[in-house]
Amino acid sequence: MVSAAVMLSVVAALAWLLWLAGDVTGRIGTARWVGGLALALVPVWLLLVAYYAPIEVAQGIIQKIFYVHIPAIIPTYFGFILSAIGGVLYLRTREDRWDQLAVAGAEVGVLFCSLMLVVGPIWAKPAWGEWWAWDLRLTMTLILWFIYVAYLFLRSFAFGSDTAKTYTAVYGIAGVGAIPFVYFALDLAQSATMHPTNPAREGLPAEMGRTVGVGMLTFIWIFAWLVAQRLELASLQARALVASRAETA
Amino acid sequence: MPWVIAAYAVTGLVLLGYALHLRVARRAALRDQKRRG
Repeated sequence: MVSAAVMLSVVAALAWLLWLAGDVTGRIGTARWVGGLALALVPVWLLLVAYYAPIEVAQGIIQKIFYVHIPAIIPTYFGFILSAIGGVLYLRTREDRWDQLAVAGAEVGVLFCSLMLVVGPIWAKPAWGEWWAWDLRLTMTLILWFIYVAYLFLRSFAFGSDTAKTYTAVYGIAGVGAIPFVYFALDLAQSATMHPTNPAREGLPAEMGRTVGVGMLTFIWIFAWLVAQRLELASLQARALVASRAETA
Repeated sequence: MPWVIAAYAVTGLVLLGYALHLRVARRAALRDQKRRG
C-alpha cells in the first residue's frame, strides 16, 4: 500500500515537474498545493518515527536514523534522473526551460545526496565506531555526489552560455550511469561490505516498512516543491540576464 | 538519543536553509526585475 503510494508519487511528481517546466511563470501557483502536501506529511512522518516504529532490538534507538537516511535516496536518484531527462529534452529542442529543469534536478539531487552522506556517518559512528568506511556502497555514493557537484561547478563557471548548457546536458545524461553502481554496490561487493543490505529486499517488519515509506513520500514531495522553487528562480534569473544584455547592447 | 536528534536536526536545518536561500534569491530577482521595469 505505502510502496504503491511511493511509486505513484514519483510518477505524479515527475509529471507535475515536466508540466511545470513548460510554463513556470503561469503554473508556479500549483506549487503551493505541493508545498502544503509536503508540509502536512512532515509531522505524520515524525510521529511515526517517534511513536509507531518499534525500537530495533540489536541497534537500539540509533536505528531510527534509518528513517531519515533511507528516504533521502529517492530524491537523490530522482534529481539526477530528472537532470538527465531535462538534458535530453534540451538537446532535442534547445529550449532553455529544459536546461533549467536539468540544473534544478541536479542541484536539489546534490542537496539530498549530501544529506544522505552526512546522516549516514551520524549513524555509523555509534554503530560501527567509525564515521566512514571505504566500502563499495559508501565510495560509490561519494563518487556520485562528486559527479554532480562537478556538474554544478561547470554550470556556475559558464553561466548563460549555450556551450555550457550543451556540455552539462551531455554530462548530466552520462552521470546517471553511476546510479546502478550505487544501487547494486552491495551485490558487486558480495559480502565484503559494512553497509547494511537494501531494506526493500530484506523485508522490514510492517511498522518499520510503513515508516520508511511515509518518509519517502515526505521527501518526494519536499523534493518536488524545492525543484519547483529552483525552477522559478532560474526562470527569473534568465529573464534578468536577457534584460541586462538588452541594456548593455 | 543525541545521535538521532543530531541526524534529524541536520536534515531539518539543511532543508530549511536551502528553502530560505531560494526564497531570498527569488525576492532579490523580483526586486531586480521591478527596478528594471
